[in-house]
Amino acid sequence: MTYVDNKKCIGCGICLPYCPLEAISLRDGKAWVDPDLCADCWVCLRKKVCPKEALQAKELTDFYQVFRHVLCDPVETFADTGVTGRGTEECKTNDVTGRYRRGEVGLAVDMGRPGLGCTLRDVEKVAMALAAAGAELAGPEETPLAQLMTDLTTGKLMEEVLQEPNLTFLSIIIEAKCREERLRDVLKALQKVEQEVDTVFSLGLIIRPLPDGTAPVLKVLDELGIAQPVRGKVNVGLGRPIAEA
Amino acid sequence: MTHSLHRSGDKESLRGDYVWFMYQAKGVNDKNIKDKALEFIAVAEAAGSENWGDVKTGPTTEYTPDEIKKNITDKSRIRGIFTSREQVVAFLQGLKKKDLGFSVVISGLLEEVLPACQDAGVTPHTINYSLGVWGRKDRLPNDDILAVTTMCGHHMISPRLVEKLIGEVRRGRYTPEQAALKLANFCHCGIFNHVRAAKLLQHYAASED
Repeated sequence: MTYVDNKKCIGCGICLPYCPLEAISLRDGKAWVDPDLCADCWVCLRKKVCPKEALQAKELTDFYQVFRHVLCDPVETFADTGVTGRGTEECKTNDVTGRYRRGEVGLAVDMGRPGLGCTLRDVEKVAMALAAAGAELAGPEETPLAQLMTDLTTGKLMEEVLQEPNLTFLSIIIEAKCREERLRDVLKALQKVEQEVDTVFSLGLIIRPLPDGTAPVLKVLDELGIAQPVRGKVNVGLGRPIAEA
Repeated sequence: MTHSLHRSGDKESLRGDYVWFMYQAKGVNDKNIKDKALEFIAVAEAAGSENWGDVKTGPTTEYTPDEIKKNITDKSRIRGIFTSREQVVAFLQGLKKKDLGFSVVISGLLEEVLPACQDAGVTPHTINYSLGVWGRKDRLPNDDILAVTTMCGHHMISPRLVEKLIGEVRRGRYTPEQAALKLANFCHCGIFNHVRAAKLLQHYAASED
């Protein structure tokens, strides 16, 4: 994780406002990085926010620290998926990968976003709620989180990662998909579990729309009291070779 | 990665906020991309993209376009912003004509992006629809701050920095444009809309504390 070199720190506090998770504070006249809050995104290091270069990166010594850094620092590329950011392609290349097909709904649950961060315990709660409601969780070739799961059919995470005391993520994506007819149950499960987590998540539904961009399956949102979407990310189908429907 | 999907703010403000993406897919069209990527970027530049970047180098608010272009590799992620529907239409028309083979994604208000697709003669293939924020929303910063911070979906822009810069604009130490550029440089992808941010910061600074 990031730490402060007390020999260099002059206690000016310039660095304090830059940490997205407010992990930096002043303690005994010096800057201090809270290890329980720092997610190793390294934005403070990359942007050189300390004029005295007192902020330093500790060597990442185990798999979990490296895993977290790669997911939290958008500059890094996740080796198994070949994708930067949080290491997943979801709908972005669906015109050539055909990952989401007609009749299916993709679910991208962006845990900890916007800006609160998340623990793996909360991630597990949501993943298990999705799986129990009939969603199929994405595998390790598609999404990094799957590497921490013991069973994709339940969403259970490895016990050892749940015991990691300092593993706060800036955000981590749970990816899944379900048949359209299961969407109501899946959304109801999310409505329940949102009251059980101590953070926020942002939710995206990935759908093959009608040519005008509408998606009849979204009528289920009205039944559940969920507002219809006003924003979207539109893959306009210019990738080649185009995937089968 | 859904880092452009969940931008917040009022509709009028979001009407000037579009994100464009070029995606090469692993194992499909991700080898020796540089020449085609340069053609792709030329289309975005011709359409007037105000900020763009490659996450492996940084945004044009901080680096010159030539520096970013020089560093493009197969691991690059090229993306940027537009501030009008007309730019989106011109961009999509240009890419349709070029037929470069990369996946193209536009993020924005659906009531603006979908007509833009129609005007450009392209058909939406897949849409990621934003259902917004769930869970402990009581722990979030206020809506004004979120309208700025969510323009960097990887959350490299801290709420406290936005608050600090609103104060600096209010005191006349930064113009809204200078403050917006300072924020934009923290979004390494190049999708921070500093044009929209400057308007928001100006509005916030003119309001009561």
